[in-house]
Amino acid sequence: MKNHSLVLATLGCSAGLMYAAAAPAQVDLSGQWVLESTQDAVKYDEGPLTDMFAGIPLNAQGQQAGITYPGDEGQELNRQCQPWPTHYLLMGPWGGRFAAVRDDQGQLVAWSLSSPAYDRLPITIWMDGRPAPSPLSLHTFGGFNRGRWEGSTLVVSTSMLKDAYLERNGLPSSNRETDTFFFTRHGDEMTLMAVIKDPVYLQTPWVLARTLKLLSEGSVVNDPILYCMPAEVLAGFTDGYHSAIELPPREAQQAAFMLKRYDLPPMATLGGARTMYPEFAKQLDRVYRIPTAYCSLYCTADGHLLPQGPRQIQSR
Amino acid sequence: MDTLRVRLSGRRDARRSGAAMLGCSLAGAVLLVCAPPLRAQQPAAASKPPPSARAQEPFDPTGYWVSLITQNWQYRMVVPGRGEYADIPMNAQAKKTADAWRSAADIAAGKQCEAYGAAALMRNPERLHVSWQDDQTLRVDIDEGMQTRLLHFKAAASGTPPAASLQGYSRAHWILDTTVNTFGASLPGAVGHPPYGSLRVDTNDLLPGLLRKNGVPYGADTTMSEYWDLRTLSPTQQWLTVSTKVEDPEYLFEPYVYDSIFQKEPDGSKWDPSPCSLTS
Repeated sequence: MKNHSLVLATLGCSAGLMYAAAAPAQVDLSGQWVLESTQDAVKYDEGPLTDMFAGIPLNAQGQQAGITYPGDEGQELNRQCQPWPTHYLLMGPWGGRFAAVRDDQGQLVAWSLSSPAYDRLPITIWMDGRPAPSPLSLHTFGGFNRGRWEGSTLVVSTSMLKDAYLERNGLPSSNRETDTFFFTRHGDEMTLMAVIKDPVYLQTPWVLARTLKLLSEGSVVNDPILYCMPAEVLAGFTDGYHSAIELPPREAQQAAFMLKRYDLPPMATLGGARTMYPEFAKQLDRVYRIPTAYCSLYCTADGHLLPQGPRQIQSR
Repeated sequence: MDTLRVRLSGRRDARRSGAAMLGCSLAGAVLLVCAPPLRAQQPAAASKPPPSARAQEPFDPTGYWVSLITQNWQYRMVVPGRGEYADIPMNAQAKKTADAWRSAADIAAGKQCEAYGAAALMRNPERLHVSWQDDQTLRVDIDEGMQTRLLHFKAAASGTPPAASLQGYSRAHWILDTTVNTFGASLPGAVGHPPYGSLRVDTNDLLPGLLRKNGVPYGADTTMSEYWDLRTLSPTQQWLTVSTKVEDPEYLFEPYVYDSIFQKEPDGSKWDPSPCSLTS
């Protein structure tokens, strides 16, 4: 009898252990996550540099759209409240709040990922395996998001996005963009990586990563933006070079602008897949000279950004 | 275990009619009860040596990887000019030191590799060749600057602290996903080879160096922690993210946190060793 009990217990435990091994290791992501990475702080805060697309695998159409972007477009009434699509998770200064959405049985149906800023709408990440809607269905800034667990990593596939911007300096994104997000929690930190694919404007996937930090319960997010801003004008767009009526610049004009502003040739600032790889740095060695003038644009000495106007004023 | 016996003995009358079924149906409920005793019964197994780090790997980090410079481009792909310190939370002392720094002096002193120390190494445009030096040591060779990092999964036998070096001393361990569930509680170890997990690396014993090639310094008390994660979309689309936190009480007023991305390459045909340089 005793042996029989032991057999039963062993059977039960074995089955249980097998279940534990097979079950996806879901992780509780609930809470307010804020940006911890300090890389690209200028880009997240003040905005990306004007016409600076290096490291972005733009195709020719994306490059043209970027350099002809009218810098004051953000002031147009119909664009003042335009939200960002989901990829802004990787580019904006915000993290987001994860909240579990459960059914009346307590099963996880979805994650809601909201933003402390008005300009990225809440994202619903469906975890119930529902099929994607028809491609002809309404595309939104939040898109259609399906999540699955790979170990303790939440992998989210995004589609059905609206035409929008890829970057705040005017790079576009199309309604054919698809994204894959990987959220991996490491204690109170989380690594987020995204693979952004857009057959209209990108040559190859654009891969970005950042680290988020969990705010302790009761903490508040600094400087949430809860209302629509009347305009967004990046520092470089007030130079008279960009305006809503500016025609596409001539090649020589553009090259001169790039050299004045960034000490870089257009082969770099126009972006493209090759600008992401180490061998491109070796190509640049032949044409790049380290600036001799002391930095005057987006220099930071103490962690605070100190935009003091375009470098061209002092260095050239 | 007593609780388990009571529960099982209460069901003895049903054993002839469906003992196997009962075992299965009880599996989930029994799991939480029996797991700790199972662990407690493991001294016999403890005599066996624990599996090596290599045997435990939740993903294969070996092979060739190329950095993707998609973020912080203007500070990584080219040497930034003087005063370009954006994105590094440096304090006033660091700014003073960086402002006074001149590359020519360090080049003359043969200190070109100071921008290739562990605290900044993974930010450079480069290729990695990752391999197992032995079952407890992961070796990371970097072509740009020709550096080598050793990630030790087993502490050195000697009690003597390692001497400070450019790459410091890195302790590594795997974080296996089977140790957490929905609410962060521990689950019993998985049966077989766990399929997912992360690599955690902690580095100290560093020599002072540069966070950026325009003179932004880090000091001798700098420590660094990293999480390495594999992301896979398909067998030919794999990326390694290395999330790094650099802490330096001397020159940083808060941790410098950055994320480096490496894309898997099919082979080493683009491996291009080149010496350290402060000007390119």
